[in-house]
Amino acid sequence: MSKVVDLKGSILSLTVLSLFSDQIDETKQAIAAKIDQAPDFFVGVPVVLAPQVALSDPTFLALLVEYLRQRQMIPIGVRTEDEGIKEQADYAGLAVFPVEKAKKSSKQSSEVQPETEQTGLKSALMVKGSVRSGQQIVAKDRDVIVMGSVNPGAEVVADGHVHVFGKVMGKVFAGAAGETSAKIFAKQLSPELVCIAGLYQLSEDIDPAYQKGFVEVSLQDNRLVFNTGLLG
Amino acid sequence: MSRVIVVTSGKGGVGKTTTSASISAGLALKGFKVAVIDFDVGLRNLDLIMGCERRVVYDFVNVVQGEASLNQALIRDKRIKNLYILAASQTRDKDALTQEGVEKVIEDLKADGFDFIICDSPAGIEKGAQLALYFADEAIVVTNPEVSSVRDSDRILGILQAKSKRAESGDEGIVEHLVLTRYNPSRVESGEMLSVEDVVDLLNIPLLGVIPESEQVLNASNAGEPVILDTEADAAQAYTDVVDRFLGEEKAHRFLTAEKKGLFKKLFGK
Repeated sequence: MSKVVDLKGSILSLTVLSLFSDQIDETKQAIAAKIDQAPDFFVGVPVVLAPQVALSDPTFLALLVEYLRQRQMIPIGVRTEDEGIKEQADYAGLAVFPVEKAKKSSKQSSEVQPETEQTGLKSALMVKGSVRSGQQIVAKDRDVIVMGSVNPGAEVVADGHVHVFGKVMGKVFAGAAGETSAKIFAKQLSPELVCIAGLYQLSEDIDPAYQKGFVEVSLQDNRLVFNTGLLG
Repeated sequence: MSRVIVVTSGKGGVGKTTTSASISAGLALKGFKVAVIDFDVGLRNLDLIMGCERRVVYDFVNVVQGEASLNQALIRDKRIKNLYILAASQTRDKDALTQEGVEKVIEDLKADGFDFIICDSPAGIEKGAQLALYFADEAIVVTNPEVSSVRDSDRILGILQAKSKRAESGDEGIVEHLVLTRYNPSRVESGEMLSVEDVVDLLNIPLLGVIPESEQVLNASNAGEPVILDTEADAAQAYTDVVDRFLGEEKAHRFLTAEKKGLFKKLFGK
């Protein structure tokens, strides 16, 4: 029987569009200027985007992809190590390519070191004071420890456990990436919302008995379980 | 050394301008050279409360945009020497202020030997408020004993920690102080208002003082006089305490409990 499909690795040469600005308007203008120099050359060209700066605007990639398509280019992916940009790429429907490895003969060990830190043990994210209204703390792939309170209108999100040494009055999310064994510990819990691995409960659904002293929240059989007896 | 102080709150109508006026007047009465700047471009109020609205020729925006010199725009208070007011423009909006322009004004005031530069912030968390707090060394957060005001103050405290020059440069953060205004102890006792403890507990910054709710504040504003000058008034004494504490003096907090109304007062009103 003849083959219907075949998967094979292949090295293709692609156009890489390096981005040095996080301002969408500025970037669009610069691209327009390039295209105007040789309009036909860019029609139907597949491009890989390589942001060289952090993209703080979460809609940047989506807007840029839209613009490139308008100009008849075909954006197919992003080359980046930045987690935030990877997430944007996901939303924009772009593939993520790894960044070119630095040459082995490179002597710039100081540049390499910070990266190795990431592969090692990730200790908890520590927040010294309180998390105030309007602030959001995100602990990717780790726990978070808040030394103060989580005030109303604040959000604390962790892929691991959430520990709060003060009062929780805002929103807390543990196991944000789906880790069902993640827990929330708080000296006092009267939150707007608690959530573990996507399962949440609002303040009004939490028994007032659990809202007084130290409490541990965990997920058991798809239910949030509040335990106040932990400290005896 | 000049100290740049922002008076801010997030929420509007809580008493920022009243507090700016009284604290700057109080500091000037102590002999310090004080400038108070109204950052509320488009909704200027400070000149009214300071009673100099008819003497505004050039304003803050004129100086920022280079249309007038600082000396032309600074209005000297008639009652207290050492007190100068830089009024906001009523005809422009907050986009008329630029960070560079504001920085230059503050640097020039420092060079002129001002001990205190008080920045009266507009309400909100947008550009005007952010410019008012950007260059501050210290912040006085004005709050009413009421949930939405406390929530907004909490928000502005987060912005102070994140978006000020001190935060961005990684220096020591802005020193934060709390002033609780419009405090009415009898309404606190009846549960209609938050108590001092509730507010301090949530905001978790040192309390500089509690200003009792009082008619004299409104009267003073209407008369164009900082309430602190009406020495008989409770609110004036409370503001005097605030100024003393701000300068490092230890003083017990007053006006925290409801005045017991005697039979006479009950019968004949206030």
